[in-house]
Amino acid sequence: MLLHDTAFPRPAVPSRLAIPDSWRASASRIGAIVRHNTILLLREPGPLASRLILPVAFLALLHPLYQAAQGHDAGARQAVIATLVTFSLLGLSIVGGSILTERMWRTWGRLRMTAIRPAELLAGKGVPVLVAMLTQQAIVIGFGVGVLGLHVASPVLLMTAVLAWTLALIGMGAAIGVLARSLAELSVIFDVGGMILSSLGGALVPLTAMPGWVRHIAPASPGYWAVSVLHAALSGDAAGTLRASAVLAGFGLACGVVAAVRADRGAVRTATM
Amino acid sequence: MLAAHGVVKRYGARRALDGFDLTVQAGEIVGLIGHNGAGKTTFVEVVTGVVRPDEGQVSVGGVDVRRDPRGARRHVGVAPQALALYISATAGENLRLFAALAGLHGRAQHQAVAQVAEEMQLTGVLSQRAGLLSGGQQRRIQAAAALIGDAPLLLLDEPTAGADPQTRAALLEAVRVRAARGAAVLYTTHYLPELTDLGATLAVARAGRVIARGSQQSLLSGLPGELRLRFADETPGCWDPAAAPEDRLRSAAGRATDIFALPAPISARATAVDGELRISSTDPPADLAALLAAGCSPAAVDVRRPALDDLYNSLAPEASDAAA
Repeated sequence: MLLHDTAFPRPAVPSRLAIPDSWRASASRIGAIVRHNTILLLREPGPLASRLILPVAFLALLHPLYQAAQGHDAGARQAVIATLVTFSLLGLSIVGGSILTERMWRTWGRLRMTAIRPAELLAGKGVPVLVAMLTQQAIVIGFGVGVLGLHVASPVLLMTAVLAWTLALIGMGAAIGVLARSLAELSVIFDVGGMILSSLGGALVPLTAMPGWVRHIAPASPGYWAVSVLHAALSGDAAGTLRASAVLAGFGLACGVVAAVRADRGAVRTATM
Repeated sequence: MLAAHGVVKRYGARRALDGFDLTVQAGEIVGLIGHNGAGKTTFVEVVTGVVRPDEGQVSVGGVDVRRDPRGARRHVGVAPQALALYISATAGENLRLFAALAGLHGRAQHQAVAQVAEEMQLTGVLSQRAGLLSGGQQRRIQAAAALIGDAPLLLLDEPTAGADPQTRAALLEAVRVRAARGAAVLYTTHYLPELTDLGATLAVARAGRVIARGSQQSLLSGLPGELRLRFADETPGCWDPAAAPEDRLRSAAGRATDIFALPAPISARATAVDGELRISSTDPPADLAALLAAGCSPAAVDVRRPALDDLYNSLAPEASDAAA
């Protein structure tokens, strides 16, 4: 009656699901996650819509203040950068929320029981959010150019800057999403953290008008580098744009690695909130 | 298809798995039973590669789970114990996602979703949000997601917990069909009649290891059954004449010896419960013969053979069987 009939190891059984081209298989899995997360994002469009509409309302209301303080061109630039950085930081909640929701639904652990890699999972979740955040920033910049007369010296540099900042945002959002323990915690991190990072970076008020200690610690904030890269890109400073983009990309990569490691090693059954 | 040997998993000082051995052959359904905390769910998580064992070997379809967990997962369809569904997505969207992750696309995916939905009686609710469906329907979606890739190894961790009879019947039939096609099935449950229905072989887990493994018949053969006897008021030969008629079958367990004039070896195993005499017995026919020979004339006899419940109940939970 006692078991010790462990005939080990068993001969290999060829996988019915084996796909010879691992890259194609990986792309296919990422595509499935992208498709599914796009459905989920559009199924509850309220948060997404507010992240797209509120920045424009903010910009429309506050740009006279910036232009009165700094002049037409500089004021328009500061207003656009302030809006873009502040609201994109608040938009982090879309990334983190989509991950935390999966943990609450236990689908995160369920997906880990499939053949998908953590990096594929994060990439698949990141793409719809990347599109949403790029759209948000395109709307703000488009409003700035079309309505406020914002001058863009180099569209290519601006696209580079926006992409680097968005990747940093997604990395940060993913890391917070896998580390946060509850929706309440996530909300506090995004609301308070977002405002602190954008303020420290000089997005809302130029750093030159801030106390000395703030200028000292500002480079520790990704918001600082976001403001820097946008200023540099809008004024056509290629070196400044690339340097700040590299810092932001490195920041996003570091956060992404933290998220991927945690996603791979995190406990499955502690995923409920 | 599944081979595990000497698997150890520690959480701090506690050993969730403590030398867990188990093999499941292609076409075999193995019922893994045991009290909460016996290590069943941890073992399922080890096989899927999401929990890394500290010691031991696990292979799925010849793929070492520790070395290539993702390779092993390609052979596995899993229904975890806890519901894990995208509640804002429809049932169909849930199934299409897991079909895609199992490598099914286009027409093959469409057919697989339609087929498993029909099998699990979900066809009518495919376009409804999973979060708005009943608990039983959600259970069926979860099971369908495990079945949809036709994986050669199915890990079903209490798949019918809280499910209605319709869900249970649909799932058991689907499992039988998969096993008949050659799938290996590891099925954990506390609903033991399901294992009888499935004709599963058994693995009994306790304190992180498998303590017994074999067919239901072989595991039950060592367990006692029961003789249940009812008597007419004036049945001759069995009564202690000193006992008042109204007390004869009202005695508490353990007092049968005092009340019934039974042969000594039998009376030691007898209790009076709810107006009947119950005698624990490894050989009920022989005990009945002995009673009749002693002059006992019961009005009714019920011979109860050992069932899986008796096997389960014989496993007293240990202190180390903490919550899973």
